[in-house]
Amino acid sequence: MRIIVCAKHVVDSTEIRWDDEHDEVVLRNLPTKISDYDRNALEAAVVLKESEPSVDLDVVMIGGEAALKTLKEAVAMGADRGHLVEGGWDDPFDPLRSARVLAKAIDQLEEPDLVMCGLVSEDGYNGVTGAALAQLLDVPYLAPVVGLKVDEGSLEAVLDVGSALRTVKVAMPCVVAVDSAMNVPRLPTVLQVMKVKGDRVAKMSLDSLSLSADAAELAHAGELVGSESGAVERRRVLIEEAPDEAAARLVEYLRQEGVL
Amino acid sequence: MAGRFVVSSASVTDLQRMAELARRLAGADGRVDAVALAGDAGVLAPEDGTLADTAGGLAGLADTLLVYEGAGEYLRGDMWAAALVDAIGQDGECVLVADAPAAREAVARTAVSCRASVASMCEDLQRAEGGGFVARRSIYGGVADGLIALVSTPAVCLFAAGKFEGAPSGESVPVEQRTLGAPAYEVTHVGDEPVVRTVDLAGASVVVSVGRGFVKREDLDLVDPLVSALGAELGCSRPIAEDFKWLPKERLVGLTGESVTAELYLALGISGQVQHLTGVKGARVVAAVNNDAKAPITRNADYVVVGDLYKVVPELVNALRSRS
Repeated sequence: MRIIVCAKHVVDSTEIRWDDEHDEVVLRNLPTKISDYDRNALEAAVVLKESEPSVDLDVVMIGGEAALKTLKEAVAMGADRGHLVEGGWDDPFDPLRSARVLAKAIDQLEEPDLVMCGLVSEDGYNGVTGAALAQLLDVPYLAPVVGLKVDEGSLEAVLDVGSALRTVKVAMPCVVAVDSAMNVPRLPTVLQVMKVKGDRVAKMSLDSLSLSADAAELAHAGELVGSESGAVERRRVLIEEAPDEAAARLVEYLRQEGVL
Repeated sequence: MAGRFVVSSASVTDLQRMAELARRLAGADGRVDAVALAGDAGVLAPEDGTLADTAGGLAGLADTLLVYEGAGEYLRGDMWAAALVDAIGQDGECVLVADAPAAREAVARTAVSCRASVASMCEDLQRAEGGGFVARRSIYGGVADGLIALVSTPAVCLFAAGKFEGAPSGESVPVEQRTLGAPAYEVTHVGDEPVVRTVDLAGASVVVSVGRGFVKREDLDLVDPLVSALGAELGCSRPIAEDFKWLPKERLVGLTGESVTAELYLALGISGQVQHLTGVKGARVVAAVNNDAKAPITRNADYVVVGDLYKVVPELVNALRSRS
């Protein structure tokens, strides 16, 4: 069985700040990583591979040169090889572009039975890319997946649809988006990442996918054109006394606010 | 400018909200078509009203309620998308869908099929100068509010779920029946295991939330007396629900969990990442106990006790009990 996991190279979302002075989101010089939710997808794929060693597992990632390190980390979790699509910045506000590039990349590879991704990305939170990819590949889409079982060409998945845990069965190929509740992703060691040699990661140019940088498929379908601080102004009263006095003071403040 | 808008939702109140916004953008000459889906067992979307309720609820807001029969056993994203694509037809300018399970698949498939532009997590939508639309949404987990330009037509917008404050007026909208074709994909429904939700964080008037300041799972017992003294609902930050899995995900406050509307939100041992603060924006008063005066929560709370929560929490219980 062939599995392809689409993992996203993102800026660490916990490091992103709003710069009041320049009125902008600061993204420069921040650490980058595998989007958290895609690590859940990778973990689920690696678990399938561990139970069935004949599983062949590829990772596909969009990005520039800086994404190579992230891709190696993804492969080190237990994949056979990684493919870096040199498509520049994987814009969080243009999930259709991501899906179109991923679909073209997957077309170039040996046909997968199962394509997996995280439910959302850590930077865009759109929840659109996986389903758009399913539409482009013309296959079923299952989400949010919290349980997976493969059985001779068909896939049984448990979906968390809020009011119920729903079990469904589809014939593969299909695309599944994994919920973070499904598992706890393993962290590859530095040694494991170092062991991912160049021959296990390949680059694909947009040209090789018949996509030039100005191809119609890559035209922005959604583009960030402005931003302002998202913070809510609060009173910011600090209470720095001994625990009993601090507790009494906080209760006093809350009583004055009329919330007790 | 006149245009034709399509709105759809899994709940009546969101459908009304989408229709009201679409009505405003469509203008006097424009048109708003609401989409409902019906299956073997009855109405699937909106799932919380009969067709008559929905048609009445859309009075003055939409022009027509398009009811798509043959949607199957439960609300499926691919079937929903098929209905939306049909409703958009050749002249649909914009589609507004409220977030719900299956809504994202519906939106994504629709956007690809119609070569549309798409935006998720929308909070507001306006026409852009020179054509197209601009959606307002929270970006980077709540660090900022962003404006997303939707250039190609139709524009497909997925809205965060919310409430409808207005009121319908006038006659029920006419209902037009349509039928969906067979599903494009065969999905076998093996069965459902109902999940009983016992927690209502979004509606609670007091929420006490726990974070990584708690060292061990057993230590969470410390907050029980505080939760009962305040009559609060217990919430938590992402590591507690998603990484350590000490509490179920229904208690998660933040971007990937619930958004609170509480009078009082008390954050215990929560550093205050933006992804968490996004879920706290709707709280009237935010208080916190944290041992680090430099943690982001101190800039995003009204009252912050700087100290050891293991010592402060029992004292808070004492202080609350002694004043009552």
